[in-house]
Amino acid sequence: MKNLKILLVDDEEEFVTTLAERLELRGLQARTALNGEAALQMIEADTPEIVILDVLMPGIGGFEVLRRIKAQHPQIPVILLTGRGSEKEGVKGMGLGAFDYLMKPLNIEELIKKMQEAIESQP
Amino acid sequence: MNKCEDKEVAFFGKITAGITHELKNVLAIIRESSGLMEDIISISPEAIVKYQEKIQNSMIRIKEQIKRGVNLTDRLNKFAHSTDETIAKIDLQETIEQLVTLAQRFARLKHVELKTVPPSQEDPPVTLVTRHIQLQMVLFASLECCFTVMSGGGEINIGIRKLEGKNTVHVVCKGDLPGQSEFSRNISESEKWPVLQEIADCLEGSVDLDETAHGIVMRFPDEISR
Repeated sequence: MKNLKILLVDDEEEFVTTLAERLELRGLQARTALNGEAALQMIEADTPEIVILDVLMPGIGGFEVLRRIKAQHPQIPVILLTGRGSEKEGVKGMGLGAFDYLMKPLNIEELIKKMQEAIESQP
Repeated sequence: MNKCEDKEVAFFGKITAGITHELKNVLAIIRESSGLMEDIISISPEAIVKYQEKIQNSMIRIKEQIKRGVNLTDRLNKFAHSTDETIAKIDLQETIEQLVTLAQRFARLKHVELKTVPPSQEDPPVTLVTRHIQLQMVLFASLECCFTVMSGGGEINIGIRKLEGKNTVHVVCKGDLPGQSEFSRNISESEKWPVLQEIADCLEGSVDLDETAHGIVMRFPDEISR
């Protein structure tokens, strides 16, 4: 897990930058993207080992970003973040190829555990 | 029962879902910011000095998010109370400002910035005796009509004008938009347009495309018949 290259995608800048700082304190390499377009460009420029992706964003939404990631880089595990109270979005995302989903507000230990599971499940 | 009442529940659901989603983001930022401070404190006493700036920034973020959260809950509370009376005397400008706050998140998702146009200082405040919740519905429906034809994003200005003794709300769209006639055609062909017309009708008002700008004009009576 140490030095794991993570891409965090969320339009809430303060959320995503603070989360990145917390992950970096734990020895992980976290980069941030504030929208789907930027995320896809960053993935092409420097492929991350895992993507943490918000579902609801302006422009290209999370599900569309997920579809494109899975089409171009099926090996990258994606964990979705959802602000909805129900599990509907998460379940839909898993149907589209997401490894798992988490609800906001996040529990960082739970996120790290999910990331570990996702990396370990890689062939 | 007026024919628009069955749409009120869906409108309430949409607005409250939007605001509570935004509140979750507020809480998520507070959790991460307080978590970051906790992480630093747990490293060592020296880390507190080393990462002093991060701690200070986290505290600023928490204060800002509390302010944002209070504003959102205030607006949500006012919105919830708009059903207290079916027909009430309301301040039109205040209702527009309230609606714009509630609709900000929907606009942001469409890359649209919402702005209220302040009323002229010379004009007295416009008060209406109307169905408050349906007035918010019609204002929101007008924004939704604009969103459907603003695929490239832009800006929407919404304000009051007292024209020929009538209470008029102008919704003006700005940005990378097609020509006036194409814009008007796109709006009138959007699926939200009949909905907007129906709600305006419930309020004994009217809705038209603005012939002078990319936008919508709504007119409301001083008082609706009960």
